[in-house]
Amino acid sequence: MKETTDLPFNPADYFTFVLDQEIRNDGMPGGYCGFALELAEQPDLEGLQERLDLLVKRFPIASARITRQGKRYAWTPTGQRIDLERHNCRQDEHSEQEPHRILLDIFNRPNTSPLTMHWIAAGIGGTLLLNWNHPLLDARGAKILLDFLASDNPEKFKETPPLIEAKLAQWSFWKKFRLFLKAKRHNSIANSVDSCLPTQVEQGPQVLRLKVRRFCEEESRRIAVLAQEHTGLAGRTLYYLGCFIRAMEQAGPPAAKAGYCIPYAFNLRRQNAPTPIFSNHVGCLFARATRKQAQDRKGLFKHLLTQYQQTIREELDLAYLPLMWLGQWLSPAKYAGLLRKQHSGGELSTLWFSDIGDLSWGGKGFLGVPVTGMFHLCWMTLPPGLALLAGQLDSRLTLSFSYLHPAIDEDWLDSVIKHMDAELLESAEA
Amino acid sequence: MKKKLKNFIFTELIYHEDPASFGEDANLLEAGLDSMGIMRLIMYAEQEFDVTLPDTEIEPDNVKSLNALEKWIRHACQSQ
Repeated sequence: MKETTDLPFNPADYFTFVLDQEIRNDGMPGGYCGFALELAEQPDLEGLQERLDLLVKRFPIASARITRQGKRYAWTPTGQRIDLERHNCRQDEHSEQEPHRILLDIFNRPNTSPLTMHWIAAGIGGTLLLNWNHPLLDARGAKILLDFLASDNPEKFKETPPLIEAKLAQWSFWKKFRLFLKAKRHNSIANSVDSCLPTQVEQGPQVLRLKVRRFCEEESRRIAVLAQEHTGLAGRTLYYLGCFIRAMEQAGPPAAKAGYCIPYAFNLRRQNAPTPIFSNHVGCLFARATRKQAQDRKGLFKHLLTQYQQTIREELDLAYLPLMWLGQWLSPAKYAGLLRKQHSGGELSTLWFSDIGDLSWGGKGFLGVPVTGMFHLCWMTLPPGLALLAGQLDSRLTLSFSYLHPAIDEDWLDSVIKHMDAELLESAEA
Repeated sequence: MKKKLKNFIFTELIYHEDPASFGEDANLLEAGLDSMGIMRLIMYAEQEFDVTLPDTEIEPDNVKSLNALEKWIRHACQSQ
């Protein structure tokens, strides 16, 4: 067993912890995320349990609890085992929806564990769900964790120090200070255009629900080509965001205001890096557009691309790192106010968004079992009460819409998804 | 120039078990260079080599390998 020392939150861990607290304060389970793999057959569950045991042994933070240490927070390892929880689907006329029903039951129950894993058996196959609390790790980390569980060579996975702090250490005090001021000015501009929201409801008991839209290989290829055409090498993320903004504009935003603002993360890990697994290693970017800009399809993509290039050129992506670093010394409530509230007092985020990127378990599958599908889910604050998580499995795009019920009108969301399809595929209605 | 570009790419943008073995014509996009990485690489090149790389020339052919990148940057330097 490794020495079990506390691991202080890094700036991005605290950022996600603050949002976790906001979600809990509204009576929901917290900032939990899910990564679901649909498997053609049942994997070796005993082997998977052994690998979970190895995970805790190698990375004690996997079963740690959050402790307060003065003004700061840290993970304190508990040494507790992570039990693979097994669930069986009923075999009746509703059996097709059973895996999703069980999965949402798991997600909606009160939770304090940092990480749980579930096998939901359905016929000869089933769904493997990794459910984790966001301060523990980000989505890229979750993918690496799944790779660790399925790897023939788990020894190659070694933890490394937080990348944000390594980045901050490279900069002089004055560089950090200049970047901080730059980020603050940028934030102030973002907060001056009131964001349209997908709901007017801001309180009351809510449950998490999920709608999954899967695109076939041909549709996914077409979307990739259109993304290249409209947003160039800046890629699919901006294309998804632009299409969502247009879809929401066409469906009519339930809380109609001046524009749209969608924060999204960029990851500091190098592409394909097997480490670090735990902690959050992300900064924040924003896709912003006025409602007028949203009405011109080509113009919107051009605007988002220019905004993105300007952000990188002016180092506004990195500017958020010193801002998050200073945020660590604010109380969760005060920090949450700064993160969420616009000058008018309204919510900044139109939507919670993440692009998980391209994933493939190839011919080997997950623990030797073919992966037939994948989707994601997450809790979010209310408002906005809606999250869109995009990911590609073996070149097939899946969009997972997590939403709060009853805050989000399901007919309205169906309409958004229909418009989103047309926008992504540039069909006649777009 | 290629040495500096390679060092930046494999220190900051892409993980590779043995960067030294990565060839000058090997495909950076297939190795994992994504949109964010391309933009950061362009910013690095502009600062390091004191050149402006036109947005209209940001295309796969110009960033697909170390040789392609070097050719693009040298051409941009000569045009200024």
